[in-house]
Amino acid sequence: MRRIFKTLLAGSAGAASLAALMLVPTGVAESADHLDPPSRTDGGVDPNPDIPADIADVFAWHSNGTTKIAMTFAGPVSAAATTPLYYDRDVLYKINISTAAPGNTPEFTIKYRFGPGQNPGEWGVRIEGIPGVTGVIEGPVEQDLQKDGVKVRVGLFDEPFFFDLIGFRETRSTGTLSIRNNRNFFDTQNDTAIVLEIPDANLGAGVTNLGVWGQTARFGGNI
Amino acid sequence: MSLRKIAMMATPLALALTLIGCGEDGAGSQVVVPAPLPSTTSTATPTATATAVAYDSTNCFLQPIQGQNGANLKSFIIPDTLKLDLTRPTKFPNGRHPEDQVVDILLATLLLDMSVTGQGPNTLANVPLNPQRNDKFFLLTFPFLPTPNGTPQVATGTGTNFNFRTDPDSAYVSVDRMGNPAIATALVSSSMKLSYNDDTPTGDVANDKYLTEYEHELDKLFGLIGDDVEKLQLKICAKKT
Repeated sequence: MRRIFKTLLAGSAGAASLAALMLVPTGVAESADHLDPPSRTDGGVDPNPDIPADIADVFAWHSNGTTKIAMTFAGPVSAAATTPLYYDRDVLYKINISTAAPGNTPEFTIKYRFGPGQNPGEWGVRIEGIPGVTGVIEGPVEQDLQKDGVKVRVGLFDEPFFFDLIGFRETRSTGTLSIRNNRNFFDTQNDTAIVLEIPDANLGAGVTNLGVWGQTARFGGNI
Repeated sequence: MSLRKIAMMATPLALALTLIGCGEDGAGSQVVVPAPLPSTTSTATPTATATAVAYDSTNCFLQPIQGQNGANLKSFIIPDTLKLDLTRPTKFPNGRHPEDQVVDILLATLLLDMSVTGQGPNTLANVPLNPQRNDKFFLLTFPFLPTPNGTPQVATGTGTNFNFRTDPDSAYVSVDRMGNPAIATALVSSSMKLSYNDDTPTGDVANDKYLTEYEHELDKLFGLIGDDVEKLQLKICAKKT
């Protein structure tokens, strides 16, 4: 029965209508925020897009006494990339966390920067402002790092976003209904992510409500 | 091609939707959308008739969302931060777990009248409209995200004495910001993209700076697809004027 639902919906007027929601008026998100703002990060609009500073998604979830936060971004390299691996040293990444009213100001601003090591292929991350962590966490990417109860890892992962982007695009370009719930544009794609796991105690006593948002900024101005 | 024409191209069978509807948190009851009876005689293709209907989506931002302790869309997106109540299970819009079907949930939250029995934030996710899950399973333990696909270049995972910038924040210029999924993409027009991304949550709450923009963009969306949603016998949250 469930399979029948999927088949019916895949060709339905409802699918077309809802697909259209994502087609107008401002275009389709490649990811939940990927390629936005287009005039800075979308190669179809900006001939020199700032790919490493393009936030793709922000996640925040809680279980078993810890809060998990992940922020994915487009750089530095995808699974199909042939250019040399790099993390952009000129981009400052921030994850802001509000733990108290008002929810629009951060009690914590986690900042992370990347830098090359002494040998080819060596890249490090330096993270400051992590709740409950004295000083900074610094070390190579693609490694689990841990300090004062906080776990951090930066590196390449499977793209965690799932969405029928192809169906949306086809519907937009042909007018033929083609959104499908058995087609994920992001299958087999990768993204870079910073992942943090923070014990509740590190956020402060009695904290029950968080506000989380990400920011990126480029050294010396937009490219 | 207009949405009306697109809808007309769909087969009657395709309209036989059954949306597994929502209880208090979007699970439980059913909304059954009956299929139109097939015609036994040949009929001329109906001619689309333009109807001048304007939509007011104000209610969509103010209606309580089931399962969210009375919170509404406005309170979730102003300021544009991802809000997580640690005392409740995570499921968007209470935080965002990687497994959450955020596009379907967001669409339902933007479009549907939440006061109607059987309609809720999970109405479309329960169908589902988009793929139900990621291509790879998320991990139960740190780092939670699956390993990359293929054999991509990755850093060596080794090294010391990395060369980091130490410049102050003032030496950097804003590029991008994100709180809730797809809000900046779907509800902010092109002309405001840069100022929106350069702003902060403090800016968001100053006289609800972007609420009019959100409402205007959602009004336009309803103008394009509101009637199509209603054809599915789903009740929209916007008012016709």
